[in-house]
Amino acid sequence: MSAAPAALRRGGSLVAAPAVLLALLAACLGWAWPAELGGWRALSIVCAWAGTALLAGSLLLMVRAARLAALFGGLDAQYRWHHRSGTVAYVLLLAHPLTLAADAWAESPVRAWQVLAPWAQHWTVWLGWLALLLLMAGLAATFSLHLPYRRWRALHYLAGAGVVTGLIHVWALLGEAGPLWLLLPLAALALGWRLLGSDLGLAARPYRVRSVVPHAAGLIEAVLEPCGPRMAVTPGQFVFAAFGDGAHFHGCGEFHPFTVSGIGADGALAVGIKALGPCSRHVQALEPGVTVRLEGPFGGFLAERAAGPQLWLAGGVGITPFMAALRAGPLTQPTTLLYFHRSAQDAAYLDELRQLAAADPLLTLVSEAADGPPPMLAARLAEVPGLAGRSAQLCGPAPLIQAARDALLRHGMPAAAIHFELFDFR
Amino acid sequence: MRRLFLSATVLFWLAVSGAWLGARLQPPLAPPAAPAEARYTLDEIARHDRAEDCWMAIDGVVYELTAYLPEHPSSLRVIAEWCGREASEAYHTKTRGRPHSPYADSLLPAWRIGVVS
Ligand SMILES: Cc1cc2nc3c(=O)[nH]c(=O)nc-3n(C[C@H](O)[C@H](O)[C@H](O)COP(=O)(O)OP(=O)(O)OC[C@H]3O[C@@H](n4cnc5c(N)ncnc54)[C@H](O)[C@@H]3O)c2cc1C
Ligand code: HEM
Repeated sequence: MSAAPAALRRGGSLVAAPAVLLALLAACLGWAWPAELGGWRALSIVCAWAGTALLAGSLLLMVRAARLAALFGGLDAQYRWHHRSGTVAYVLLLAHPLTLAADAWAESPVRAWQVLAPWAQHWTVWLGWLALLLLMAGLAATFSLHLPYRRWRALHYLAGAGVVTGLIHVWALLGEAGPLWLLLPLAALALGWRLLGSDLGLAARPYRVRSVVPHAAGLIEAVLEPCGPRMAVTPGQFVFAAFGDGAHFHGCGEFHPFTVSGIGADGALAVGIKALGPCSRHVQALEPGVTVRLEGPFGGFLAERAAGPQLWLAGGVGITPFMAALRAGPLTQPTTLLYFHRSAQDAAYLDELRQLAAADPLLTLVSEAADGPPPMLAARLAEVPGLAGRSAQLCGPAPLIQAARDALLRHGMPAAAIHFELFDFR
Repeated sequence: MRRLFLSATVLFWLAVSGAWLGARLQPPLAPPAAPAEARYTLDEIARHDRAEDCWMAIDGVVYELTAYLPEHPSSLRVIAEWCGREASEAYHTKTRGRPHSPYADSLLPAWRIGVVS
């Protein structure tokens, strides 16, 4: 969620994702442009190809790989374009059969209905319908925020099946490969990477749990040491971690994103894990010696810190990126850290933070217990000296970030100076 | 994005229902009066072998497809190749072994001009 310059500094670009999408659009429409047709028919073919190109692009932007994400200016920016291109493709593909029917409607409504009714048609068109219904079901699940994460993800894969079915529909109708020479391998690579590389973890690096320390109610910190080549991580970045088995511990084996809370000189990485659901609750029983697979690093939160004074705001486990930055060495800019937590038992790292603040004259620590967005948020912010001239880094639950952003804008902080990280991609 | 998804989906199903209703409500077409049909030999048909002047014989019926060609889904080349010829085989196998759909069948009569003698 960091702003453009941070992405550029990391060698990526926020325009890379739209540029790739536009290139795919241009390739498909350039090849299939229905110059000899007019009216609704031509519009239908343009919608079909534009939708197909964007669907394939959306599939590419779903791939979770550190290099690719850096190229696209961060995993969150990449996923934003994945959402946008997928939804716009879906709308274009809804228009595709309708405009085809509109073309036939001029002749007669019966003819228009024949175009749409799959039973009046051939299997190639059934595939079109199947693809559209799969996309519809997949996207409906995607936009249901209240589904449990595992069911949400399983249903989201329906959209992936829809893309593949749609591409087969195009191939069957076309009778030749055409732009599918580009789109089919792209889709196969993207899905293959996702299923084998990411979900099965073939692209992950082996680490081992060195130590586990409970830090608060339902929050442990684990230090992970590399078993092979180490990752180059900077404070603010996160990794995907899948915990395996140990003597008494059986991990759930799934990859979950965790922000690095400490970076050792020997390549060891610390992660603070709060029990927020089934898998992270299970991980609270973690023990030394367990194998861990890590993917990453991802993200560029805290990468762009303007030279001037800083305002850091953390809610709950959102303290982890700031821990990594503070543990990396003394600050170079005056920094006020506002740390909100539910109660005293939930205040992870508070003792360590107090010691850090006592040792570093540039760090001012303000911690406060509050359930939900703190009622005193506006007042606490108003107390920060020179607030409007600072640059802000926010990390925590979405309602807190939203409330803090609004308050900062009201205090006259420019939107470009506000950076944030949310612990959810949906 | 969520709002876009929801409104597009609702509009889509409204339009599909509209097409269904439109088809239900339309009175059935009166069957066209059958005029005495012209008869053509395969030699005559073979003279109309260009995209700008395209006849085809399919299952013993002669079609004048010049005006239809630009509307055909696949590229003009694929279908124009069959102008002036007996194209039943190509029509039924669509070059790759797939027959045309009932929809395609329903399009053909509009272009009928006679039968093969
Ligand atoms: C960029 C980022 C950084 C994070 N950093 C930390 C951290 O430092 N410490 C910490 O305790 N938590 C962190 N989280 C949150 C953590 O990933 C989730 O709490 C954890 O995945 C929950 O999984 P679960 O099975 O226990 O619970 P579930 O009930 O399955 O999930 C709870 C919520 O976590 C999210 N989530 C679950 N699995 C994934 C996944 N594989 N990918 C993306 N989101 C998922 C979902 O939105 C879900 O609603 C971070 C999340 C993100 C996106
Ligand atoms: C209700 C669902 C669908 C129906 C009824 C349908 C029907 C059709 C028909 C009849 C054609 C041939 C039209 C013509 O060339 O004039 C066609 C072409 C096409 N369809 Fe679909 N389709 C559907 C869904 C999809 C989906 C989901 C995709 C996305 C991948 C798609 C992509 C295409 C493309 C790219 C073409 C053009 C092929 C070409 O250039 O000849 N369609 N569709």
